[in-house]
This record gives sequence, C-alpha cells and structure tokens, in this order.
Amino acid sequence: MSDRRPALQATDKLAFLLALVPWLIDHERVSVAEAAEHFAVGTAEIRRAVELIAVSGIPGETSQYQHGDLFDIAWDDFEQNDVIVLTNLVAIDESPRFSSREAAALIAGLQYLSSLPDHADRAAVASLTAKLSRGASSEPSQVAVAESESDEALAVVGRAVEAGVQLEFDYAGVRGRAERRRVDPLRVESLDADWYLRAWDHVREGLRTFRVDRMSRPALTDAPITHRASDLSLPDTLFEGSPDDVVVTIEIDDAAAALLDDWSPTDVERADEGRTRLSLRVSHHGTVARLVAGLPGRACVVAPPEARRAVAEWARRAAAEYDAEGTAAG
Amino acid sequence: MPAARAPRIPVEERLFSLVLALLATDTGLTKSEVLSTVQGYRQKYSSAGDNAALERQFERDKDDIRELGVPLETVDDPAASGNNQLLRYRIPRGSYELPLDISFSPEETALLTLAAMVWREGTLSGESRRALLKLRSLGGTATVPELEYAPRIRSRDAAFEPLRTALDRGVVVRFDYLKPGEARPRRREVAPFALVQHQGRWMVPAIEPDTGSRKNFLLSRIVGPVTVTGRSFPRPADATADSALAGLEELRRSNTALVRVVEASDAETRLSKRRGTESRGADVLAVHYSDASILAEELSSFGPEVTVLEPVSLRELVVQRLRRLVADHDDDAARPVGSSTETWARS
Repeated sequence: MSDRRPALQATDKLAFLLALVPWLIDHERVSVAEAAEHFAVGTAEIRRAVELIAVSGIPGETSQYQHGDLFDIAWDDFEQNDVIVLTNLVAIDESPRFSSREAAALIAGLQYLSSLPDHADRAAVASLTAKLSRGASSEPSQVAVAESESDEALAVVGRAVEAGVQLEFDYAGVRGRAERRRVDPLRVESLDADWYLRAWDHVREGLRTFRVDRMSRPALTDAPITHRASDLSLPDTLFEGSPDDVVVTIEIDDAAAALLDDWSPTDVERADEGRTRLSLRVSHHGTVARLVAGLPGRACVVAPPEARRAVAEWARRAAAEYDAEGTAAG
Repeated sequence: MPAARAPRIPVEERLFSLVLALLATDTGLTKSEVLSTVQGYRQKYSSAGDNAALERQFERDKDDIRELGVPLETVDDPAASGNNQLLRYRIPRGSYELPLDISFSPEETALLTLAAMVWREGTLSGESRRALLKLRSLGGTATVPELEYAPRIRSRDAAFEPLRTALDRGVVVRFDYLKPGEARPRRREVAPFALVQHQGRWMVPAIEPDTGSRKNFLLSRIVGPVTVTGRSFPRPADATADSALAGLEELRRSNTALVRVVEASDAETRLSKRRGTESRGADVLAVHYSDASILAEELSSFGPEVTVLEPVSLRELVVQRLRRLVADHDDDAARPVGSSTETWARS
C-alpha cells in the first residue's frame, strides 16, 4: 500500500502505538529502519513513537508515574545505533483485537476475493472469517459483498503469468468486431463487480486495459513475455487518455455524477435543478453513447454536436429494432 | 521527570496513557481517579474546582478509544448503583488482547492484505488500514504475488457512512427514496440491519419497525441526507448480511429475461458470461436479474446489439430509455451537412 497518507489523527497514532509495542516486545532488539519497513512508515514516525512509549506508563501506586511504572528503552542503543530495545514493560503484552468494523472490512474483502482463481479457496476464506470473528472485540458489523462473478478468463490469465508466456484472446471492443489480441499480462484490477486486465498489447504495442468479461477464447501461447509490471510504470487510473481522445460534455443528475469519477471528469459545474455538467475524454463517440445509455437518471451529451448526433443515431438504430417488431406503442 | 514537563501533552499521549492505566487496573478507576492521576488529564485537574471541561474531554476520549475496538468497560458499584461518580472504568485484558491461539500464516497474511486493499478507496479505508496495522503487530509479512492484483470496492454513496453508523448503533434512520417510475421521492423510516453489495451496487436491507417487513433499498436511489434517529431497534438474529445476500441471489435466479443478441458482439460475450445465463437458440439468451430498472440500464448500454424479447415490462423500460435518448440528443435542425460519419470510422 502507498506510504503517502494524510496527516494521522490522534486515534491513528494511538492505534499505531498499541500495535508497535507488542511487536517490539517480540523482537527484543530491532533497528528503527527494520521497524519502519515492517510497518510501512517513515523512520521519523518510528522514532517519535518510541520516544513517546519510553516516557509513558501507568500512574502506579503513588499515582506519580515513578520510574518503574514507565516503559523504558536502552537509550544509548537508541540514540547512538538507531536500535530499539525495550528494557521495562508496562500493562501491554499482546496485540489488540480487531474492532467490529475492522473485522467486518476484512471479512467482506475476503468474500469479494473468493472468486479470484489463485486466491482464497472457500475453505481458506471460511477459516479466516472464523479467526477474524473470534479475534474481534465485538461481533463484526453486518457488511457483506457478494462474491464477484468468476470468469474462466481470469484463471487463464493466472496460468499465463505462472508460465511466463503471452496470452491470446478474442476481444470485442465497443465497435462490436472481435479481434484476436496477444498480450503480456501485468495486473488484474477490479472496480466493484467489474474486472480488468492491464497488459502490454503486442498488436498495438502499448499498455492497454481490457475488461475481463469482454475476453473470449483465452489461450496460452508459446512465446515468452517481454514486459513485466516492474519494468513499466502503470498509471493509477484505469481509463487513460490517448491523443486520439475526444472531449465530450455531459449533463447528469447530481446523484449519479459520482459514477463518472473513474473517467476523471473536468470542468465539473452545477447546471440547473439538481443537474451537474462535466467534461470527459472518450476514445470515440460510440463509447459515450454506451456510457450515457447505461447511466441512471437522465444523462445527456450536450456537446460537441457530432457526439450528440452519434448518440441520437445509435439510440435510433437500437430503438428501430423494436419498431420493426411492432412493439406496443411507447 | 514526566511530572515536570510542560503541561501541554499531545492527544495521543493522553489516549495512550488512558489505555495503559485502564489495562493495568483490575478493579477499575473512577472518573475522578482517572482525571486526577492519568497523564494528560492530571495536568489540567483541579482538586478543588470545576472539572466539567475535563470530564467532557474524558467522554470524548472514551468514544475515540472504543472506536478502535478497545473494550472499555464500566463497572457499576453494586452498593451505590446509579451513582455516576462511583462508576469504575477498566479495559479487561482478556477482551483487549488477541487470543494467543490466533495467528496468521504468510499466505493468510497475504490474502488478508489483499482483502484490506479492496477498501483503499472510501470510508472503510481507515478501518482496513488499522486492521493491517494489527496484522503487522503480530509480525506477519505478506509474500508478494507475481501477478499484481488491485481489486477495489467503492463505497461512494453519500448514504453509506450514516447508514453504517446507524447499523453499529442499532437505530432507525429516515431518508427520502426515489423508486424508479415514481415522480417524487417518498420518506422512509426503517431500521437498517446490514449493508451489502450485490452485482456492484450497495444496498441497505432494512426492517420497517411498525410492520416488521423487510425491504432492500439501493443506496443510489436515496435522495438527500440520511437522518440517524435515536430510536433503537435491535437486529433480529436472523437478519444478517448473508441472509440478505442470499435473498437477493434467490430473487436474481427467479427473474429471467429473454434477449436477442447480435452474434459475436460485445453484448453476446458479456451477457453470456453473467452467472446463470443460458442459451435459448442461436441468438437468444436467458439472463437473470434482481432489479428490472438496473437491467434496463445495462441492456440499453448495448444499444443495437441487444433486443429484449420478454418480459414486456422490461422491454418497455428499454424502449423508453432509448426513445428518450433519441429525443434528448435529436437536434436535426442544427445538423451541419455530412460531417458526422468520420468519427465513427476512426479507430
């Protein structure tokens, strides 16, 4: 996980102290650098925490925080060698239990992952869920995520990675014509119920994002992969722009505007009566037709005119299918 | 000597000292013992005067500590029941410490790390980060898989956080809910008993306190703020997130739509992959769904690649959407001659 975080709240710092002490107890003698690496924080944060621990303790019999009532560390080791050794312990021995919300977040995350092929078979998930429930200080909150659809293609992606070979599949882009693609798989991502493969596309010679449920007839090839995730810098956003992109302006109900966040909208502004207006980049006008057709509320392209025309034309063709069959008048 | 330090004690030092003091006591400490002796309080304590501000501070600190899952208990003095000043506070070691027989293998730690990463966006990210901290406290390190996985669940709906608060407190909420097809939102007053994500959408399964009937509400259809009331409504034992998900899955299985798809189209590939989809002839698929309006949105997004055959109600929903889309984008009058086809041809 990323090390860049907003400034920690006092409760986060407390949680950190309560987690750090038992680990230091278990590790008798450990360098500041090791501790920082293990907890994925900066060395300065570790030093500050250790300094605080070293002067903390319990009021004790005299209620005066006498020397024996406080934690203590080997100060020389700490100051000269950057090494942490706890020399006196107070009140804490073991790691804390999970809170009900923490346990619930992990359990729901596990359920969600159970469809991933090389992770989480059901038995492992069930045993971990039981452990987390037992290790929580109160009953985990009732939060659950349905197991996402398992896709045979994901398993094939996993096998390709294991064998270090390129992967082939048919991919029906939004233009409807399926093409055979050959890729080096780099990363599997998901957003809620949708799964994506980030890969080096050998046909297009570039990084591409593929929807896994759009891939069909996946197969391993004999060709070894030539690109690895560690060699490339994968952008954080799933949907990246390309120079060919067109910018479209969309108006949508306020409540549904957040659904477009993944498209990194720009020029977001209030339009009339509970409506939001925003601009986003799409690969072509066919994409935007599908996008607005699938959004809840009354999403509408306002500009440019070519995009509006493309949407109208596309929707007219779709509606015509029903007219041709003599559907009840709408 | 700590007592000689400047009176300004950082918040985390006060909270840490409070946890240590309450862990170290078997019989518990009274509020005045806490305020007069514990680091961070004692510096501000007045033995003669008014400690009202400090008492309020203590109340907030207790809430913050409990929020982290620390089981801070109150013990009533049986001899003076109800006397607030004699209430004693403590953190029982047994309910604070993770049981010694709970440990996680490197594989399990890797899986849990991934499970926590799922929440890296949104309101659960703080909690999953703290859960990871506790895993690390146990010493576990995760092995790094060769293929990177970056799974993510979003909880962007504004209603998510207030609903979760209501869930934890076991209380009734009020919100305006807009059912598709209805012109105006309607005020609801229900007791949420879970938050579940089904097919990528967050729902709150809830009980109507007066009738006892259970309903699922889509968070995206909640209009405006959610009011968390003080009316308590304990969750019945059988009202769980799992039972709600099972109910939604049952509903999904029982609803079937027949659609015609264009051969080898994106629609065919994706709809065929939906769980439970069956082929009914060369170009007809039977797909399952739990909510007709949501399916209508999904099917509309395939445009000319899909035609709904039945049920008629779903067919009407899709036709309506498509016609409205045409109407909303039709400005024939302003059409400049012959400039639009190019955008389609470009790839």
